[in-house]
Amino acid sequence: MTEPMVSLRGLYKIFGTRDKEVLHYVQGGMGKEELLAEHKHVLGLNDINVDMQAGEITVVMGLSGSGKSTLIRHLNRLIEPTAGEIIVQGEDVMKLSEDGLRKARQEKMSMVFQKFALLPHKTVLKNAGMPLSVRSHDEIDCDKEAQKWLDRVGLSGFENHYPAQLSGGMQQRVGIARALTANTDIMLMDEAFSALDPLIRTDMQDLLLELQKELHKTIIFITHDLDEALKLADHLVILKDGYVVQQGEPQHILLNPSDPYIEDFVSDINRARVLRVRSIMTPLDGGKVPEGAHGELDYDDTLETMIAKSGGDTSHAYLVTRNGTPVGTLEMTSLVKALVPRVASEAGARQY
Amino acid sequence: MAFYDKLFNALGLGDWCGETGADAPLSMADLMAQTDGAEATGSFFPFPSLDNLNESCSSIIQSRDVTKGIETGFLAAKPALKTFLDPITQPLSWLLDGALWLFELTPWFIMVPLLVAISYWASRSKPVTIFVFVSIMLLGLVDHYDVAMQTLSIIFVCTTISVMLGVPIGIAMSKSDRLQKSTVPILDLLQTLPTFVYLIPLIFLFSVTESKLYGIAIILYAIVPVIRLTDLGIRLVDQDVIEAANAFGMNSRQKLLRVQLPLALPNIMAGINQTIMMSLAMVVIASLVSAPGLGVNVLRGIRNLELGVGIVAGIGIVLLAVILDRVSKAALTRVDMTRVKH
Repeated sequence: MTEPMVSLRGLYKIFGTRDKEVLHYVQGGMGKEELLAEHKHVLGLNDINVDMQAGEITVVMGLSGSGKSTLIRHLNRLIEPTAGEIIVQGEDVMKLSEDGLRKARQEKMSMVFQKFALLPHKTVLKNAGMPLSVRSHDEIDCDKEAQKWLDRVGLSGFENHYPAQLSGGMQQRVGIARALTANTDIMLMDEAFSALDPLIRTDMQDLLLELQKELHKTIIFITHDLDEALKLADHLVILKDGYVVQQGEPQHILLNPSDPYIEDFVSDINRARVLRVRSIMTPLDGGKVPEGAHGELDYDDTLETMIAKSGGDTSHAYLVTRNGTPVGTLEMTSLVKALVPRVASEAGARQY
Repeated sequence: MAFYDKLFNALGLGDWCGETGADAPLSMADLMAQTDGAEATGSFFPFPSLDNLNESCSSIIQSRDVTKGIETGFLAAKPALKTFLDPITQPLSWLLDGALWLFELTPWFIMVPLLVAISYWASRSKPVTIFVFVSIMLLGLVDHYDVAMQTLSIIFVCTTISVMLGVPIGIAMSKSDRLQKSTVPILDLLQTLPTFVYLIPLIFLFSVTESKLYGIAIILYAIVPVIRLTDLGIRLVDQDVIEAANAFGMNSRQKLLRVQLPLALPNIMAGINQTIMMSLAMVVIASLVSAPGLGVNVLRGIRNLELGVGIVAGIGIVLLAVILDRVSKAALTRVDMTRVKH
């Protein structure tokens, strides 16, 4: 297994003045509410261990107050942890000097914010070029690079507008262009699309996936929206009250929720749209290609596609292919079973 | 026999007190009573003030010693203060005198177009510019052009210095909570201290013939709003934007120059507007200590009961105030507009 791009080891964050003193209570198993009641300290993060692989989108999901925004701010140390290690590209961020940290923020990690956080007195072009001008690149260079990424996110022609003149979606495009101009391997996205209306949000998600196909950045994406999480995630981390409830491949979490909390979460979503054929098919495992299939499906098709193909006929069965090679079969009956949310079973809950 | 005799005896302090204060200087109340021909009896239960206690115990100081102490203390410190303050404030005298000389030397047919041009450049507003032109012409018409220019030169120098000192102080305050906590009471004091009270120690320190005397008084009074609003403006800058600046690795200098100051500019401009207004208010009072300008005419009106002179000068001050206010406010709105222009 390759070295993860970002790796969090035993990360704790307690908000309060005596955080180091009360840490051992938390390590001894004290919960969030107890800590607040007895020691007046707020537990932000509780023993986080996450590996984020290069070129993947890692989505951290949780409700408000679950610590997800706190978590992402630890990666570039906008928030100082109480204890733990933050290793980015093999280097411990905690051991960096002030200058080293600033350099890391400039060259290794860029960030996109929920409320855009653009400079209101600068034009779109200057905003997008900001990460380079901070590194004292000359102006022509900044503008050229900024222009390239503004074009890429579909904002050609708006260079000389001010942020206040743009809609929310366009402002966030500037935010993304700004992060891309920084040309860093890691992109931190803190609820980047949460402030946008649903249609624009879908557009932005598509834009992000499209960019990702091309650029292969390591993206850490924070959201409270499960649909968004499932759409974007290569690796999904679910947070609750500051600890990781479950993490892994999204399809797997969906089919094997390990906790009533997650069961609750996943029962609300449109499973047919999210689950993919590959997750529930019966693999061929080198066996004979069965005859009498009603059609072929791609490995990465959603169940929705399959339902549409069958026209609702539950007696159909399909052949699943990957790059044209048959890899499995899937019957409509097993599809219907997969659509019913399951109660987490001890055996099915595979922990990572 | 004074009222508090028994108290001191009961406390066993009779010896420390010594003789009853028969030989102490008379208090004002005693003196009044004597001239009335009656013995100072006092009320039944007098307030335990220093003077009343002194009657029973001469070791306790009288109230007049307090004011006297302040005076002697100040006079004792004066040489040291003077050797320290004189050289560092001397440039202020030069600046004030220089500006005065320059404003008076420039002929009106150059000065008036220049002022109108500056107003237009700052405000970019035709009505304001026209108003400025008409007002200055009106002042000139009643032969108040020269005094108005004197006042303007003082305000120009004092406001410039206030901004140059006030903005950095405000920035420093916004960076440090401790500094802010310790500075705010001083600012409160400067703002609430009656304006005449500034003048008293300054008259002792500097000669009335020196222009820095009124310069310091005006600056001390007028610098407060620009400090306060710079501090406030920087503290009010959107924390999300500051976070973004941090996330992209700006150092504190870049943050200050690229984010905090530009975003705080409307507030700082509001502070400058207030500073101009307050220095105009003070420049009138400063005419008591030989500041030239419209204030002198107001003072003449009061001293000689020349009603007309006082009122014309007063209206001149109002015109000047409105000019300065409108121009600086228009400049402020213009600065603010660049953020939301469509």
